[in-house]
Amino acid sequence: MSKPFLIPLLLSLLGSPVAQAMDYRIETLSEGLEFPWSLAFLPDGRMLVTERVGRLRLIEADGRLDPEPVSGVPEAFVAAQAGLMEVALDPEFARNQWVYLSYAHGSEQANNTRLARGRLVEGELQDVKVLFTAQPLKTGAAHYGGRIAFLPDQTLVLTLGDGFDWREDAQNPGNHLGKIVRLNRDGSVPADNPLRDQAGAAPEIYSLGHRNVQGIFYDAEAGRLYSHEHGPRGGDELNLIEAGRNYGWPLVTQGVDYTGALISPYTTLPGLQPPLLHWTPSVAPSSLTQYRGALFPQWQGDLFAATLAERSVRRIRLLDGKLAGEDVLFEELGERIRDVRSGPDGALYLLTDNAKGRVLKVVPAD
Amino acid sequence: MPSKAQPVLAFVFAVLLAAALGSIVQTQYNLAMLQALGAPLSAEVRLRATGLDLLGFAPLFAVLVAAGFLCALPSAAWLSRRLLPLRWPLFALAGALAIWLAMSLANALLPMPTLIGANRSLIGTLGLMACGSLGALLFARLSRPLCRP
Repeated sequence: MSKPFLIPLLLSLLGSPVAQAMDYRIETLSEGLEFPWSLAFLPDGRMLVTERVGRLRLIEADGRLDPEPVSGVPEAFVAAQAGLMEVALDPEFARNQWVYLSYAHGSEQANNTRLARGRLVEGELQDVKVLFTAQPLKTGAAHYGGRIAFLPDQTLVLTLGDGFDWREDAQNPGNHLGKIVRLNRDGSVPADNPLRDQAGAAPEIYSLGHRNVQGIFYDAEAGRLYSHEHGPRGGDELNLIEAGRNYGWPLVTQGVDYTGALISPYTTLPGLQPPLLHWTPSVAPSSLTQYRGALFPQWQGDLFAATLAERSVRRIRLLDGKLAGEDVLFEELGERIRDVRSGPDGALYLLTDNAKGRVLKVVPAD
Repeated sequence: MPSKAQPVLAFVFAVLLAAALGSIVQTQYNLAMLQALGAPLSAEVRLRATGLDLLGFAPLFAVLVAAGFLCALPSAAWLSRRLLPLRWPLFALAGALAIWLAMSLANALLPMPTLIGANRSLIGTLGLMACGSLGALLFARLSRPLCRP
Protein backbone atom coordinates (compact mmCIF):
# COMPACT_ATOMS: atom_id res chain seq x y z
CA MET A 1 0.00 0.00 0.00
CA SER A 2 1.42 3.39 -0.93
CA LYS A 3 1.89 6.15 1.62
CA PRO A 4 -0.92 8.45 0.36
CA PHE A 5 -3.44 5.70 1.12
CA LEU A 6 -1.76 4.43 4.24
CA ILE A 7 -1.72 7.73 6.13
CA PRO A 8 -5.49 8.45 6.03
CA LEU A 9 -6.18 4.86 6.95
CA LEU A 10 -3.88 5.05 9.96
CA LEU A 11 -5.42 8.34 11.03
CA SER A 12 -8.92 6.92 10.90
CA LEU A 13 -7.84 3.86 12.84
CA LEU A 14 -6.36 6.08 15.52
CA GLY A 15 -9.59 8.04 15.77
CA SER A 16 -7.89 11.31 14.84
CA PRO A 17 -10.08 14.20 13.79
CA VAL A 18 -10.23 14.24 10.02
CA ALA A 19 -12.48 16.28 7.81
CA GLN A 20 -15.26 14.07 6.53
CA ALA A 21 -17.09 14.44 3.26
CA MET A 22 -20.68 14.68 4.54
CA ASP A 23 -23.90 14.64 2.65
CA TYR A 24 -24.97 18.11 3.70
CA ARG A 25 -25.74 21.49 2.19
CA ILE A 26 -25.08 24.84 3.88
CA GLU A 27 -27.64 27.57 3.22
CA THR A 28 -27.42 31.22 4.21
CA LEU A 29 -30.61 31.84 6.14
CA SER A 30 -29.93 35.43 7.16
CA GLU A 31 -27.14 37.96 6.84
CA GLY A 32 -26.20 41.51 7.74
CA LEU A 33 -25.57 40.80 11.41
CA GLU A 34 -22.71 42.55 13.21
CA PHE A 35 -20.71 39.97 15.13
CA PRO A 36 -23.67 37.68 15.94
CA TRP A 37 -23.01 35.80 19.19
CA SER A 38 -25.98 33.66 20.14
CA LEU A 39 -29.08 32.18 18.57
CA ALA A 40 -32.34 31.07 20.20
CA PHE A 41 -35.42 29.55 18.58
CA LEU A 42 -38.84 30.99 19.44
CA PRO A 43 -41.82 28.60 19.57
CA ASP A 44 -43.47 30.36 16.60
CA GLY A 45 -40.55 29.58 14.26
CA ARG A 46 -38.81 32.94 14.58
CA MET A 47 -35.32 33.30 16.02
CA LEU A 48 -33.58 35.71 18.35
CA VAL A 49 -29.96 36.61 17.65
CA THR A 50 -27.65 38.76 19.73
CA GLU A 51 -25.08 40.98 18.08
CA ARG A 52 -22.03 41.54 20.27
CA VAL A 53 -22.24 45.26 19.56
CA GLY A 54 -25.31 45.36 21.80
CA ARG A 55 -28.35 44.56 19.71
CA LEU A 56 -30.96 41.79 19.99
CA ARG A 57 -32.49 40.97 16.61
CA LEU A 58 -35.53 39.05 15.47
CA ILE A 59 -35.35 36.81 12.42
CA GLU A 60 -38.48 35.52 10.75
CA ALA A 61 -38.79 31.80 10.07
CA ASP A 62 -37.95 32.43 6.41
CA GLY A 63 -34.74 34.21 7.37
CA ARG A 64 -35.88 37.83 6.95
CA LEU A 65 -34.10 40.03 9.49
CA ASP A 66 -36.39 42.47 11.30
CA PRO A 67 -34.78 45.86 10.61
CA GLU A 68 -35.66 47.11 14.07
CA PRO A 69 -33.69 45.60 16.96
CA VAL A 70 -35.64 44.44 19.99
CA SER A 71 -36.07 47.44 22.28
CA GLY A 72 -35.52 47.47 26.02
CA VAL A 73 -32.27 45.51 25.89
CA PRO A 74 -29.89 46.54 28.70
CA GLU A 75 -26.88 48.55 27.58
CA ALA A 76 -23.74 46.45 27.29
CA PHE A 77 -20.12 47.51 27.64
CA VAL A 78 -18.83 46.92 24.11
CA ALA A 79 -15.08 46.61 23.48
CA ALA A 80 -12.77 43.83 22.23
CA GLN A 81 -14.42 40.62 23.57
CA ALA A 82 -16.99 42.55 25.62
CA GLY A 83 -20.58 43.16 24.57
CA LEU A 84 -23.95 41.50 24.39
CA MET A 85 -23.43 37.75 24.49
CA GLU A 86 -25.95 34.96 25.13
CA VAL A 87 -29.70 34.94 24.53
CA ALA A 88 -31.62 32.02 26.03
CA LEU A 89 -35.32 31.36 26.38
CA ASP A 90 -36.76 30.20 29.66
CA PRO A 91 -37.71 26.51 29.38
CA GLU A 92 -41.29 27.69 30.07
CA PHE A 93 -41.05 30.59 27.62
CA ALA A 94 -44.38 29.79 25.97
CA ARG A 95 -46.03 30.49 29.34
CA ASN A 96 -43.87 33.26 30.81
CA GLN A 97 -42.01 34.92 27.83
CA TRP A 98 -38.81 35.27 29.86
CA VAL A 99 -35.66 35.84 27.82
CA TYR A 100 -32.25 35.70 29.51
CA LEU A 101 -29.34 37.80 28.31
CA SER A 102 -25.71 37.76 29.35
CA TYR A 103 -23.55 40.77 28.62
CA ALA A 104 -20.48 42.66 29.71
CA HIS A 105 -21.51 45.35 32.14
CA GLY A 106 -19.62 48.43 33.29
CA SER A 107 -16.76 50.41 31.79
CA GLU A 108 -13.22 49.85 30.55
CA GLN A 109 -11.97 50.38 34.09
CA ALA A 110 -14.58 48.31 35.95
CA ASN A 111 -16.58 45.59 34.22
CA ASN A 112 -17.62 41.96 34.36
CA THR A 113 -20.32 39.60 33.15
CA ARG A 114 -23.94 40.33 34.00
CA LEU A 115 -27.12 38.28 33.62
CA ALA A 116 -30.52 39.85 33.15
CA ARG A 117 -33.93 38.72 32.00
CA GLY A 118 -37.01 40.37 30.57
CA ARG A 119 -40.30 39.41 28.98
CA LEU A 120 -40.39 39.47 25.18
CA VAL A 121 -43.62 41.20 24.23
CA GLU A 122 -44.19 42.34 20.64
CA GLY A 123 -40.58 43.07 19.82
CA GLU A 124 -39.86 44.69 23.17
CA LEU A 125 -38.12 43.44 26.27
CA GLN A 126 -40.22 44.39 29.29
CA ASP A 127 -39.83 44.01 33.06
CA VAL A 128 -36.07 43.73 32.65
CA LYS A 129 -34.35 42.74 35.86
CA VAL A 130 -30.68 42.20 36.59
CA LEU A 131 -30.26 38.73 38.08
CA PHE A 132 -26.52 38.53 38.67
CA THR A 133 -23.32 40.52 38.22
CA ALA A 134 -20.01 38.69 38.46
CA GLN A 135 -17.64 40.14 41.06
CA PRO A 136 -15.20 41.75 41.27
CA LEU A 137 -15.44 44.30 38.49
CA LYS A 138 -12.09 44.44 36.73
CA THR A 139 -10.31 46.34 33.98
CA GLY A 140 -9.79 45.23 30.38
CA ALA A 141 -12.18 43.59 27.96
CA ALA A 142 -11.35 39.89 27.82
CA HIS A 143 -12.63 36.53 29.06
CA TYR A 144 -16.28 36.90 30.03
CA GLY A 145 -17.61 33.39 29.42
CA GLY A 146 -21.29 34.22 28.99
CA ARG A 147 -23.01 30.98 27.97
CA ILE A 148 -26.17 29.74 29.72
CA ALA A 149 -27.70 26.30 30.22
CA PHE A 150 -30.85 25.33 32.08
CA LEU A 151 -30.85 22.41 34.47
CA PRO A 152 -33.93 20.25 35.10
CA ASP A 153 -34.32 21.51 38.68
CA GLN A 154 -35.48 25.00 37.66
CA THR A 155 -31.98 26.43 37.99
CA LEU A 156 -29.58 27.74 35.37
CA VAL A 157 -25.82 27.78 35.03
CA LEU A 158 -23.89 30.75 33.66
CA THR A 159 -20.31 30.42 32.50
CA LEU A 160 -17.74 33.07 33.35
CA GLY A 161 -14.13 33.91 32.54
CA ASP A 162 -11.01 34.86 34.44
CA GLY A 163 -10.68 38.32 32.88
CA PHE A 164 -7.32 37.19 31.40
CA ASP A 165 -5.14 39.03 33.92
CA TRP A 166 -6.70 37.36 36.95
CA ARG A 167 -6.06 33.71 36.18
CA GLU A 168 -5.03 32.82 39.74
CA ASP A 169 -8.44 34.03 40.89
CA ALA A 170 -9.99 31.05 39.11
CA GLN A 171 -8.82 29.14 42.21
CA ASN A 172 -10.23 31.71 44.64
CA PRO A 173 -13.65 30.60 45.89
CA GLY A 174 -14.27 34.09 47.21
CA ASN A 175 -15.15 35.61 43.84
CA HIS A 176 -16.66 34.76 40.45
CA LEU A 177 -13.60 35.02 38.21
CA GLY A 178 -13.01 31.77 36.34
CA LYS A 179 -16.14 30.07 37.65
CA ILE A 180 -19.40 28.54 36.51
CA VAL A 181 -22.25 29.82 38.68
CA ARG A 182 -25.66 28.28 39.33
CA LEU A 183 -28.69 30.42 40.05
CA ASN A 184 -32.40 30.06 40.42
CA ARG A 185 -34.15 31.55 37.46
CA ASP A 186 -35.06 34.64 39.50
CA GLY A 187 -31.38 35.21 40.30
CA SER A 188 -31.48 33.90 43.86
CA VAL A 189 -28.96 31.32 45.06
CA PRO A 190 -30.12 27.70 45.15
CA ALA A 191 -30.11 26.21 48.64
CA ASP A 192 -28.00 23.24 47.53
CA ASN A 193 -25.19 25.09 45.74
CA PRO A 194 -21.95 23.28 46.61
CA LEU A 195 -20.07 26.16 48.31
CA ARG A 196 -23.08 27.88 49.83
CA ASP A 197 -22.17 26.93 53.38
CA GLN A 198 -18.42 27.45 53.00
CA ALA A 199 -17.25 30.53 54.87
CA GLY A 200 -15.85 33.19 52.55
CA ALA A 201 -16.98 31.46 49.36
CA ALA A 202 -19.21 33.05 46.77
CA PRO A 203 -22.45 31.08 47.17
CA GLU A 204 -23.28 31.19 43.45
CA ILE A 205 -20.25 29.03 42.51
CA TYR A 206 -21.05 25.70 40.90
CA SER A 207 -17.54 24.82 39.71
CA LEU A 208 -14.18 26.58 39.70
CA GLY A 209 -10.78 26.54 38.04
CA HIS A 210 -11.90 27.70 34.59
CA ARG A 211 -10.26 30.08 32.13
CA ASN A 212 -12.92 31.29 29.69
CA VAL A 213 -15.93 29.01 29.34
CA GLN A 214 -17.82 29.75 26.14
CA GLY A 215 -19.74 26.53 25.72
CA ILE A 216 -22.11 24.68 28.02
CA PHE A 217 -24.81 22.13 27.34
CA TYR A 218 -26.96 19.96 29.54
CA ASP A 219 -27.57 16.52 28.06
CA ALA A 220 -31.00 15.80 29.51
CA GLU A 221 -31.06 12.16 28.40
CA ALA A 222 -27.78 11.29 30.08
CA GLY A 223 -28.06 13.82 32.89
CA ARG A 224 -24.62 15.23 32.07
CA LEU A 225 -23.46 18.83 31.96
CA TYR A 226 -20.73 19.40 29.38
CA SER A 227 -18.71 22.56 28.92
CA HIS A 228 -15.70 23.65 26.96
CA GLU A 229 -13.29 26.46 27.61
CA HIS A 230 -10.56 28.35 25.85
CA GLY A 231 -7.05 27.41 26.86
CA PRO A 232 -4.16 29.81 26.30
CA ARG A 233 -1.88 28.57 23.47
CA GLY A 234 -3.11 25.00 23.47
CA GLY A 235 -5.07 23.38 26.25
CA ASP A 236 -8.63 24.12 25.12
CA GLU A 237 -10.76 21.71 27.14
CA LEU A 238 -14.00 19.76 27.01
CA ASN A 239 -15.14 19.08 30.57
CA LEU A 240 -17.84 17.14 32.30
CA ILE A 241 -19.07 19.58 34.92
CA GLU A 242 -19.99 18.35 38.37
CA ALA A 243 -21.05 20.43 41.35
CA GLY A 244 -18.20 21.73 43.49
CA ARG A 245 -15.42 20.35 41.33
CA ASN A 246 -12.21 22.20 40.58
CA TYR A 247 -11.12 22.06 36.94
CA GLY A 248 -7.62 23.21 37.65
CA TRP A 249 -6.88 26.42 35.79
CA PRO A 250 -4.16 27.70 36.09
CA LEU A 251 -2.57 25.00 38.28
CA VAL A 252 -2.87 22.45 35.51
CA THR A 253 -3.11 23.00 31.79
CA GLN A 254 -1.94 21.52 28.52
CA GLY A 255 -1.32 25.00 27.12
CA VAL A 256 1.36 27.65 27.44
CA ASP A 257 0.96 31.42 27.49
CA TYR A 258 0.72 33.36 24.21
CA THR A 259 4.31 34.48 24.83
CA GLY A 260 5.47 30.88 25.05
CA ALA A 261 5.90 31.20 28.82
CA LEU A 262 4.88 28.32 31.00
CA ILE A 263 1.51 28.68 32.72
CA SER A 264 2.13 25.67 34.94
CA PRO A 265 4.63 22.82 35.04
CA TYR A 266 1.70 20.46 35.66
CA THR A 267 -0.91 18.92 33.41
CA THR A 268 -2.48 16.96 36.26
CA LEU A 269 -2.54 17.31 40.03
CA PRO A 270 -4.48 15.38 42.67
CA GLY A 271 -7.92 16.82 43.38
CA LEU A 272 -8.19 18.66 40.08
CA GLN A 273 -10.57 17.37 37.42
CA PRO A 274 -8.88 16.43 34.14
CA PRO A 275 -10.68 17.34 30.91
CA LEU A 276 -12.54 14.75 28.86
CA LEU A 277 -10.35 15.91 26.01
CA HIS A 278 -8.10 18.81 25.20
CA TRP A 279 -7.37 20.55 21.95
CA THR A 280 -3.70 21.35 21.46
CA PRO A 281 -3.01 23.36 19.35
CA SER A 282 -6.01 25.50 20.22
CA VAL A 283 -9.17 25.46 18.16
CA ALA A 284 -10.80 28.24 20.27
CA PRO A 285 -14.15 26.59 21.09
CA SER A 286 -16.93 29.17 21.19
CA SER A 287 -20.20 27.27 21.57
CA LEU A 288 -21.42 23.80 22.46
CA THR A 289 -24.57 21.92 21.60
CA GLN A 290 -25.86 18.41 21.20
CA TYR A 291 -27.57 17.26 18.05
CA ARG A 292 -31.08 15.97 18.73
CA GLY A 293 -32.69 16.20 15.32
CA ALA A 294 -34.07 13.84 12.73
CA LEU A 295 -32.36 15.17 9.60
CA PHE A 296 -28.95 13.69 10.38
CA PRO A 297 -29.50 10.33 12.12
CA GLN A 298 -25.76 9.66 12.15
CA TRP A 299 -25.22 12.77 14.31
CA GLN A 300 -27.84 11.81 16.90
CA GLY A 301 -26.64 12.55 20.43
CA ASP A 302 -23.21 13.84 19.34
CA LEU A 303 -21.74 17.06 20.70
CA PHE A 304 -20.92 19.91 18.34
CA ALA A 305 -18.39 22.57 19.27
CA ALA A 306 -18.05 25.70 17.16
CA THR A 307 -14.51 27.01 16.81
CA LEU A 308 -13.04 30.42 16.07
CA ALA A 309 -9.36 29.71 15.44
CA GLU A 310 -9.86 26.47 13.53
CA ARG A 311 -12.82 27.99 11.63
CA SER A 312 -14.81 24.81 11.89
CA VAL A 313 -17.29 22.86 13.93
CA ARG A 314 -15.98 19.88 15.82
CA ARG A 315 -18.34 16.92 15.93
CA ILE A 316 -17.53 14.98 19.09
CA ARG A 317 -18.94 11.52 18.73
CA LEU A 318 -20.42 9.96 21.84
CA LEU A 319 -20.96 6.25 22.24
CA ASP A 320 -22.72 5.13 25.41
CA GLY A 321 -21.72 8.42 27.02
CA LYS A 322 -18.06 8.01 26.15
CA LEU A 323 -16.05 9.96 23.62
CA ALA A 324 -15.67 8.01 20.39
CA GLY A 325 -13.66 10.34 18.18
CA GLU A 326 -13.99 13.66 16.42
CA ASP A 327 -14.72 15.02 12.98
CA VAL A 328 -13.85 18.49 11.73
CA LEU A 329 -16.79 19.94 9.82
CA PHE A 330 -17.52 23.03 7.73
CA GLU A 331 -13.88 24.05 7.28
CA GLU A 332 -14.77 24.79 3.68
CA LEU A 333 -16.53 27.95 4.90
CA GLY A 334 -13.22 29.38 6.10
CA GLU A 335 -15.09 31.45 8.68
CA ARG A 336 -14.90 31.82 12.43
CA ILE A 337 -17.98 30.11 13.86
CA ARG A 338 -19.37 31.80 16.97
CA ASP A 339 -22.42 29.65 17.68
CA VAL A 340 -23.79 26.24 16.79
CA ARG A 341 -27.35 25.14 17.58
CA SER A 342 -29.44 22.09 16.94
CA GLY A 343 -32.64 23.57 15.51
CA PRO A 344 -36.17 22.36 16.23
CA ASP A 345 -36.51 21.44 12.54
CA GLY A 346 -33.55 19.06 12.71
CA ALA A 347 -31.15 21.38 10.91
CA LEU A 348 -27.89 22.54 12.43
CA TYR A 349 -27.58 26.32 12.69
CA LEU A 350 -24.34 28.30 12.71
CA LEU A 351 -23.44 31.94 13.33
CA THR A 352 -20.37 33.32 11.60
CA ASP A 353 -18.21 35.71 13.61
CA ASN A 354 -17.52 38.87 11.67
CA ALA A 355 -18.87 42.35 10.96
CA LYS A 356 -21.07 40.91 8.20
CA GLY A 357 -22.13 37.85 10.13
CA ARG A 358 -24.57 35.28 8.82
CA VAL A 359 -26.98 32.67 10.09
CA LEU A 360 -26.23 29.44 8.28
CA LYS A 361 -28.46 26.41 8.10
CA VAL A 362 -27.01 22.95 7.55
CA VAL A 363 -29.44 20.52 5.95
CA PRO A 364 -29.09 17.18 4.16
CA ALA A 365 -27.83 17.57 0.60
CA ASP A 366 -30.90 15.98 -0.91
CA MET B 1 37.12 43.83 19.31
CA PRO B 2 36.93 45.70 15.95
CA SER B 3 35.56 49.17 16.48
CA LYS B 4 32.59 48.86 14.09
CA ALA B 5 31.47 45.53 15.44
CA GLN B 6 31.89 46.56 19.05
CA PRO B 7 28.59 48.38 19.59
CA VAL B 8 26.70 45.74 17.62
CA LEU B 9 28.15 42.93 19.69
CA ALA B 10 27.57 44.93 22.85
CA PHE B 11 23.95 45.39 21.84
CA VAL B 12 23.49 41.69 21.11
CA PHE B 13 25.04 40.65 24.43
CA ALA B 14 22.93 43.24 26.26
CA VAL B 15 19.72 41.93 24.68
CA LEU B 16 20.66 38.32 25.41
CA LEU B 17 21.44 39.08 29.03
CA ALA B 18 18.26 41.10 29.61
CA ALA B 19 16.11 38.49 27.86
CA ALA B 20 17.60 35.57 29.78
CA LEU B 21 17.33 37.34 33.13
CA GLY B 22 13.80 38.51 32.27
CA SER B 23 12.82 34.96 31.44
CA ILE B 24 14.13 33.76 34.80
CA VAL B 25 12.20 36.52 36.59
CA GLN B 26 9.03 35.60 34.67
CA THR B 27 9.38 31.95 35.63
CA GLN B 28 10.03 32.61 39.31
CA TYR B 29 7.14 35.10 39.47
CA ASN B 30 4.79 32.60 37.86
CA LEU B 31 5.93 29.74 40.08
CA ALA B 32 5.51 31.91 43.17
CA MET B 33 1.89 32.55 42.16
CA LEU B 34 1.29 28.82 41.68
CA GLN B 35 3.01 28.02 44.97
CA ALA B 36 0.68 30.46 46.70
CA LEU B 37 -2.20 28.39 45.28
CA GLY B 38 -0.72 25.26 46.82
CA ALA B 39 1.19 23.77 43.90
CA PRO B 40 4.10 21.57 44.98
CA LEU B 41 7.36 22.93 43.57
CA SER B 42 10.53 20.91 44.00
CA ALA B 43 13.92 22.25 42.94
CA GLU B 44 13.79 19.91 39.95
CA VAL B 45 10.40 21.23 38.81
CA ARG B 46 11.60 24.80 39.29
CA LEU B 47 14.78 24.17 37.29
CA ARG B 48 12.91 22.45 34.50
CA ALA B 49 10.33 25.24 34.31
CA THR B 50 13.11 27.83 34.18
CA GLY B 51 14.79 25.95 31.36
CA LEU B 52 11.56 25.59 29.39
CA ASP B 53 10.89 29.31 29.66
CA LEU B 54 14.43 30.11 28.50
CA LEU B 55 13.60 28.10 25.39
CA GLY B 56 9.94 29.11 25.01
CA PHE B 57 9.60 32.62 26.41
CA ALA B 58 13.05 34.24 26.22
CA PRO B 59 13.09 34.48 22.38
CA LEU B 60 9.89 36.55 22.29
CA PHE B 61 11.02 38.64 25.24
CA ALA B 62 14.31 39.24 23.41
CA VAL B 63 12.37 40.80 20.53
CA LEU B 64 10.68 43.20 22.96
CA VAL B 65 14.00 43.94 24.66
CA ALA B 66 15.71 44.58 21.33
CA ALA B 67 12.95 46.96 20.23
CA GLY B 68 13.17 48.85 23.51
CA PHE B 69 16.96 48.94 23.55
CA LEU B 70 17.10 50.22 19.97
CA CYS B 71 15.46 53.40 21.19
CA ALA B 72 16.85 53.59 24.69
CA LEU B 73 20.54 52.70 24.42
CA PRO B 74 21.56 55.21 21.72
CA SER B 75 19.68 57.86 23.68
CA ALA B 76 21.51 56.88 26.86
CA ALA B 77 24.85 56.90 25.02
CA TRP B 78 24.16 60.37 23.62
CA LEU B 79 23.14 61.73 27.02
CA SER B 80 26.03 60.10 28.84
CA ARG B 81 28.53 61.89 26.59
CA ARG B 82 27.12 65.14 27.93
CA LEU B 83 26.60 63.97 31.50
CA LEU B 84 29.60 61.74 31.99
CA PRO B 85 29.32 61.41 35.80
CA LEU B 86 25.78 60.06 35.33
CA ARG B 87 26.78 57.48 32.72
CA TRP B 88 25.91 54.36 34.77
CA PRO B 89 22.63 55.64 36.25
CA LEU B 90 21.60 56.90 32.81
CA PHE B 91 22.10 53.47 31.22
CA ALA B 92 20.41 51.71 34.12
CA LEU B 93 17.41 54.02 33.82
CA ALA B 94 17.32 53.72 30.04
CA GLY B 95 17.32 49.92 30.22
CA ALA B 96 14.49 49.86 32.73
CA LEU B 97 12.42 52.38 30.77
CA ALA B 98 13.05 50.46 27.54
CA ILE B 99 11.45 47.33 29.03
CA TRP B 100 8.56 49.28 30.50
CA LEU B 101 7.91 51.07 27.21
CA ALA B 102 8.12 47.90 25.12
CA MET B 103 5.69 46.06 27.41
CA SER B 104 3.31 49.01 27.57
CA LEU B 105 3.25 49.31 23.78
CA ALA B 106 2.67 45.57 23.40
CA ASN B 107 -0.20 45.72 25.91
CA ALA B 108 -1.75 48.66 24.07
CA LEU B 109 -1.47 47.06 20.64
CA LEU B 110 -2.33 43.43 21.38
CA PRO B 111 -5.81 42.15 22.25
CA MET B 112 -4.97 40.76 25.69
CA PRO B 113 -4.85 43.20 28.62
CA THR B 114 -1.31 42.19 29.68
CA LEU B 115 0.99 40.20 27.41
CA ILE B 116 3.57 39.03 29.94
CA GLY B 117 2.43 37.35 33.12
CA ALA B 118 4.93 39.02 35.45
CA ASN B 119 3.90 42.42 34.04
CA ARG B 120 0.53 42.02 35.79
CA SER B 121 1.93 43.15 39.13
CA LEU B 122 4.18 45.99 40.27
CA ILE B 123 6.81 43.67 41.70
CA GLY B 124 6.92 41.57 38.53
CA THR B 125 7.13 44.66 36.35
CA LEU B 126 9.95 46.10 38.47
CA GLY B 127 11.76 42.76 38.25
CA LEU B 128 11.58 42.77 34.46
CA MET B 129 12.68 46.41 34.35
CA ALA B 130 15.66 45.56 36.56
CA CYS B 131 16.70 42.97 33.97
CA GLY B 132 16.56 45.74 31.37
CA SER B 133 18.84 47.84 33.58
CA LEU B 134 21.39 45.03 33.84
CA GLY B 135 21.33 44.50 30.08
CA ALA B 136 21.84 48.21 29.48
CA LEU B 137 24.70 48.34 32.00
CA LEU B 138 26.38 45.49 30.16
CA PHE B 139 26.03 47.48 26.94
CA ALA B 140 27.55 50.50 28.67
CA ARG B 141 30.46 48.43 29.88
CA LEU B 142 31.16 46.69 26.56
CA SER B 143 30.75 49.77 24.40
CA ARG B 144 32.56 52.12 26.73
CA PRO B 145 35.59 52.98 24.56
CA LEU B 146 33.37 54.18 21.73
CA CYS B 147 31.17 56.20 23.98
CA ARG B 148 33.93 58.31 25.46
CA PRO B 149 33.70 61.98 24.44
